[in-house]
This record gives sequence, structure tokens and C-alpha cells, in this order.
Amino acid sequence: MALTQHEFAFVSGLVRREAAIVLEAGKEYLVEARLLPLARRTGTVTVSEFVARAQRERVIADQIVDALTTNETSWLRDREPFTAFTDSVVPDLAERRGPQHKLRIWSAACSSGQEPYSLAMLLEESVRTGRYEILATDISTEMIERAKAGRYSQLEVNRGLPVPMLVRYFDRVGTEWQVAEALRRNVSFQKVNLAAPLPQLAPFDVVFLRNVLIYFDLETKRSVLRRIRSLMRPDGWLFLGAAETTIGIDDGFERVVAGRASAYRPRAATTAPVGATRKG
Amino acid sequence: MSAPTTDDLHAITEQVWLSYLDPEGVNPFLPSSEAPESPLVIASVSVTGAWEGHVIMTFSEQAAELASAALLGMEADEVTPDDVADAVGELVNVIGGNVKSLLPDGSLLSLPHVVTGDSAGTAKWPATVEICRLQGSWQEEKIAISVWTSKSAGEGS
Amino acid sequence: MVIDDSRAMRLILRRIVTQLGFEVHEAGNGKEALDLLETVDPMPQVALIDWNMPVMNGLEFVTAVRSDERFRQMTLMMVTTESEHGQIVRALAAGAHEYVIKPFTPEAIAEKLALLGLVPSGIV
Ligand SMILES: C[S@@+](CC[C@H](N)C(=O)[O-])C[C@H]1O[C@@H](n2cnc3c(N)ncnc32)[C@H](O)[C@@H]1O
Repeated sequence: MALTQHEFAFVSGLVRREAAIVLEAGKEYLVEARLLPLARRTGTVTVSEFVARAQRERVIADQIVDALTTNETSWLRDREPFTAFTDSVVPDLAERRGPQHKLRIWSAACSSGQEPYSLAMLLEESVRTGRYEILATDISTEMIERAKAGRYSQLEVNRGLPVPMLVRYFDRVGTEWQVAEALRRNVSFQKVNLAAPLPQLAPFDVVFLRNVLIYFDLETKRSVLRRIRSLMRPDGWLFLGAAETTIGIDDGFERVVAGRASAYRPRAATTAPVGATRKG
Repeated sequence: MSAPTTDDLHAITEQVWLSYLDPEGVNPFLPSSEAPESPLVIASVSVTGAWEGHVIMTFSEQAAELASAALLGMEADEVTPDDVADAVGELVNVIGGNVKSLLPDGSLLSLPHVVTGDSAGTAKWPATVEICRLQGSWQEEKIAISVWTSKSAGEGS
Repeated sequence: MVIDDSRAMRLILRRIVTQLGFEVHEAGNGKEALDLLETVDPMPQVALIDWNMPVMNGLEFVTAVRSDERFRQMTLMMVTTESEHGQIVRALAAGAHEYVIKPFTPEAIAEKLALLGLVPSGIV
């Protein structure tokens, strides 16, 4: 049973308002495929009926927003940004800030948590324990809950996690693997919608904002980048997804090369970063 | 360490299906109360050592052919009995290995065995009791997965 | 090189690594794989190794290969349903470089090979 134009308009309006995600016409099949299992689970027979309920029930509307955001992620995703993080960024910050400084890192669309925990594992190996803290945020309540639990299926731990890290930082719990308590202690989780005014947060040394800008339109990208910049240290580092850039969107950032990855730094940072060259 | 449960079997089965039999997530294994009927294909692995017992998958003949075809990337009517034995043997090996990880350390997994035939429906593993079972259908065909432990080992722990 | 006693599993792995641009040799157990290594030239860059196999199991194969200077350059990746913490540690101690737990998706194999520097990251 196909969604009517009217129903699709309601759904795309909802996810646009709530998550700033753009669903173009033609994505009706995607909406139906994602919503059908949800509809069944709540005892609603058709997707149309489910959408009708969402217009009256807040919980259902939230479920729809959750279901239509893409949560695809993996450990050390694309590897290079993470290599650059350990090889260039952490040494650079250690030198600037001195050994007493507690590094503050933000994983700003953390999905099920692979990104913040990847960073935590890398920091365990390069920084003395306790000298860093990671804030992980996402718009999805379900993802925040999953990330907080730090429990992953066999299929998930297979995805890009080097086995020495699995052995060192995870415990087997039933059919799953759980991130060790010592690591979870250094990561905190919070629900944050990047497309709305951000909560007051202490400035960050490094922000990972990966594979989420792609879902936003230009205006939203611009305001998200601006808000994030205001929460960064002036000599901090921003990492985006491989298909994302600040260029042509927010002049307040400049692109720098870090190892084999691109990173972005607030333009006001005048001193040349250690281990990085300007690329413009 | 707690004994494996039907929920554990379900979690493991879902992952096996997503990896090999239903990568698009469109034909999931659906639990139900119906057991497969003869003719059957039965695939099993034994666990020995710290824990003793068996992990057993029972397929309707059609289900076994469908599963083998999906695994081998062939049409169901092309698969030979050898293909079926190999493919369902590998399925029970993967599920059995994951079940073993829920059992006490120091348990060993045997190589898989596959038997077929009408009378297989009454086959028994002597001196064992069933500790959990998951059954249901996949593409309308029935499959059951069960874990059995030898009585002596079960009583001992 | 793909070493697994199940033909179905060898086929699944063959399909995945062929797509990544590898040429594939197959063996049904550790002994067959050792014999094959004597004849193939050039030596495979990487072996994907099941654990539970008849004749010679994967752990024995890893131990044998690691003690042979000629195969020093070959990367060894276990692909097995053995998934206890202790078993993984054993395989690493014997000389395996990476470990994929069955069941796996094609992306998992590609990402692990990329971690080992065997697949250009662009493909993953
Ligand atoms: C594709 S995942 C990326 C996860 C991770 N950063 C990575 O690169 O693998 C995108 C995530 O962005 C989240 N997201 C979508 N819209 C958002 C918004 N407006 N505010 C915060 N998070 C959002 C989704 O819930 C999802 O978890």
C-alpha cells in the first residue's frame, strides 16, 4: 500500500523540522520500508495508519524520526582521520597544552557509539588515563541508549575493529561484547540536536562531526558549523566525513592536511600547527 | 556462566541470517510454534570438554535446499545433496560456535554432521536433555534449532 | 588463500575477495594449504583461515607457517566461529594478525583487509 502524497509530506516535514534531514520526493519507498516493521510492532496494520497516529501521538512521531535517520557506522571509520588524530592532533595538543591539560573531545553524531569509543581506545594508548574526556551526542534517544550501554553484536565488532583492541578493551557478555568499564567511564552521553541551538558546553579541543552534515541542506550545514565553531577552542581541530567539507559553506574554518586526512581548524588560529601543513 | 536460552539462539540466528541468508533483511527467520516435518535434514555439532552436548538444526528438506542455494548463490533446484550437506553443515558450525561461546571455557566444537531421511524425524541423541529451542519459518519453510546437554554433565554443574 | 573445510564458506570468501581485486587459491584444511604453498608462486599475500577443520586445523596451520622463514611476509587472518576471548588471544599468540568472527558481512572482510594495509582504503 503506497503512502499518499499528503502522508509523505507530513513525514518529510516532521524529519525536516526535528532533525533537519531532507527527504526528497521519490523517497516514498524508503519511508515505507523503514516504517512498516515499526508499524507492525506497535500493532498498527498499515504505514498510513501509523503516520496518522504520529500526527496525534508524540511517541510515534519520535519513533519515525529515529527510524528515518541513518545510523550506519563502524570502528575507526575510514581509518585515516583516526590515524591523523593519534599521529598529528594528539601530539600537537599535548605540546600546546602541556601534560596537565585534560583533552576534551566531542563526537557530535555518535550513532551507536563506535566513533567515541574508537577515540577513547586510541587515547588510552597515547594519553595517560584520565587525562581526556569525551562527550558523545546524537539526536536519537535509541542510539544514545545503545551507545551508553556499549554492547555490540558479533557482527558489529567485526566491522573495522582491530582484534588487539577487541581483546584489550572488550568483555564478552552473553552473545555480545561490551566496552570495558574503565573506558566507558571517560565517555559521557547526551541527546543533542545539532540543528537546534546547542546547550552550553565547555570548549572542545577536537570535534568529530562525521557523516551527518550530508543529510542537511546548505543553510542548516552553515548554521551547524557556525554553532560548533563557537564551542571549539580557537586552535582546536574538526574532522568531517569523507564526503563533507566546510569549504564554500563556512569561511570561519580552514582546511589543513593532517597525515593522509583533511581536518579543519578555526581560521583565527594563527600559529602553524605542529605536524600539519596548510592546504587552504 | 548461565546456560544458553532461546533468546540467545534467536540473537545468533538473526546475525547468521543477515550475514549469509538474508543480507537485505527482507526474508528474516520468523519464530513460531511449528516444527519442521519429514522429510528432514538434520545438521549437528557436538560440544565436548568442560560442557557436553549438541547443537542441532533441523530443516524441512525444502528449507535445507533453500538455505544451501542462498549460501552458494545458486537456484534451489540446482543444489545437489552434497551441496546441502556442506552448506547446512557450515550453518550449524557457525551457530554451534556462537553457542559454545556462551558455555564454560575449555569446551571443544566437533566438525558438523549432516543426516537426511524420513526416519530422521525420530532420531534421538541418547542420554541428553534439551535446554533450549528456537523454531520458526523462513520463506514458508520450517527450521528448528535446539541445544541439548548430556544428563550427567548437566547434573554435575 | 582461503582455507576452510566448507565449500560454501570458501565460495562466500572467494566472492568477497575477488571483488576486492584478489586472485584466490583454495584449500580444504591446513595440510592442503601447506602443500599448496610449496607449489604456488608468487606466495599469497594473505591467508584467510578457518579454525575447526579435519586433518590439520587452523591454529596448527598458523603455528606451522609462523615457524617457516619463507612465509614471513604472509599475513594471517583467522575467519572462524571460535569466538571466546581466550581463543582469540591464543590465535594471536600463535602468530595470527587479524581475526574475523563468523558470521561476518562482506564489509567486515574488506575493512579488516584494509586495516592490514592490503586493500586501498577507497574500496572499503
Ligand atoms: C551515518 S551516522 C554517522 C555516525 C558516525 N559519526 C560515523 O561517522 O560513523 C549519522 C548520525 O547522525 C545522527 N543525526 C541525524 N540528524 C541529526 C541531528 N539533527 N542532530 C544530531 N544528530 C543527528 C543520526 O541519528 C545518526 O546516528
